[in-house]
Amino acid sequence: MLELPAIYAENIHRWLPELLYYSLTTLKIASVSFLLAVAVGIFFAVCRTSGSRLLRGFAVVYIEVARGLPIVVLLYIVYFVPPQLFPGLNWQWFSDFTGAVIGLALHGGAILAEVFRSGIEALHKGQREAALTLGMTPAQSMTYIVFPQAARIVLPPAANYAIGLLKDTSLCSLIGVNELMNDAKSIAFSDYQPMAVFVLVAGIYFAMSYPLSLAVRTLEWRLNVSR
Amino acid sequence: MSFLEVLDAKGWYFLTTLLGGWPETVTVALGALIFALIFGLLVALMRISRWRALRYPAIAYLEIFRGTPALVQLFVIYFGFPDIGFEPSPFQAAIVGLGLNGAAYLSEVYRAGIESIHRGQMEAALSLGMTPARALQYIVLPQAIRTMLPPITNFAIILLKDTALVFAIGVVEIMALARNLVTETLQSAAVYLIAGGIYLCVTIPMARLAAGLERQRQAWH
Repeated sequence: MLELPAIYAENIHRWLPELLYYSLTTLKIASVSFLLAVAVGIFFAVCRTSGSRLLRGFAVVYIEVARGLPIVVLLYIVYFVPPQLFPGLNWQWFSDFTGAVIGLALHGGAILAEVFRSGIEALHKGQREAALTLGMTPAQSMTYIVFPQAARIVLPPAANYAIGLLKDTSLCSLIGVNELMNDAKSIAFSDYQPMAVFVLVAGIYFAMSYPLSLAVRTLEWRLNVSR
Repeated sequence: MSFLEVLDAKGWYFLTTLLGGWPETVTVALGALIFALIFGLLVALMRISRWRALRYPAIAYLEIFRGTPALVQLFVIYFGFPDIGFEPSPFQAAIVGLGLNGAAYLSEVYRAGIESIHRGQMEAALSLGMTPARALQYIVLPQAIRTMLPPITNFAIILLKDTALVFAIGVVEIMALARNLVTETLQSAAVYLIAGGIYLCVTIPMARLAAGLERQRQAWH
């Protein structure tokens, strides 16, 4: 029978600092790809709601493809395909970290594009027009009228996406990024303690995502005016 | 060889080889779907129960499985369980892992579906002398199915995509075959793009189906 407490008592001083160090990489991947995904998402949400048929079609194809692919497959495509398609270019800068961040951002961009679109579409045009008529500047109407209403629709799903993203960073280990999951694998197999190490790692992921999810619940509750 | 020459010379071989992993992908997805449908209902019922002894374990389960990555869950089951005396095959670990992960998702779908049915329906059934279980079976669940069908279809899509993880615990499905092909031929561009195409051929029509079901449901209301 496995004595988890005894195993932890003996090894945790070696395992935990190392795992926590690599969870910084995990947080770095998550935050950089989140910011990138927001940019990609805004771009495609604007395309998706634009008057131009070409832009709309482009956005629809992107969203369907990026959401239809498993994230792992998307990561493999982003990381392994371009260097082979364009072998003439310089790929020195294209590390596994960069590939992971771009892959996750492309996936997240498609999710956030739909979130932002629902935010844009939910707002009646009249709101902005009324604000302008009342003498607000466009910037004021954006700050006081449009944004507070759009935020209520957009923030909860965007925050939920961020939690999902934090967990999805574990997939980057599959293309070789040295983050929490990859380090866990190397410790687990070199120390022959898969159960103890993977349970500990599950705990670290939980410790990162659970406070976020509590915050999202509070946010949802506070933004819900109809309560 | 340029990319197009590779596609021309090897494309068919790559496609047929990758499609050889399709039965494994579908088996894992269907196995996990059935597991999650059954176990998720159980968790949902515990979650809405009046008894704390049922409700609290369900909440703990939900928080833990939604708070940790599916890949970690698969690793705990496949690599960790042998430490406590179970040795699951890659297939069993994949189905149980994705099934447990999915049950946490589905139980919320069930709960929302059950809660969307007006309380009066349950009360009426109880006052007619039905037991709570019968009222759930004959009155509440048949009505809730309508609300739940679109999110269940969406869940099936998520599950199909999540099967692309299970090569990490040794199931020889599409992604595993793709990696083998790349090791064998070094043609990563062609192989991974074809693999992506295979997934899209299934997930995009399924997403359309889910969207159609959702529109239909809204038309009923």
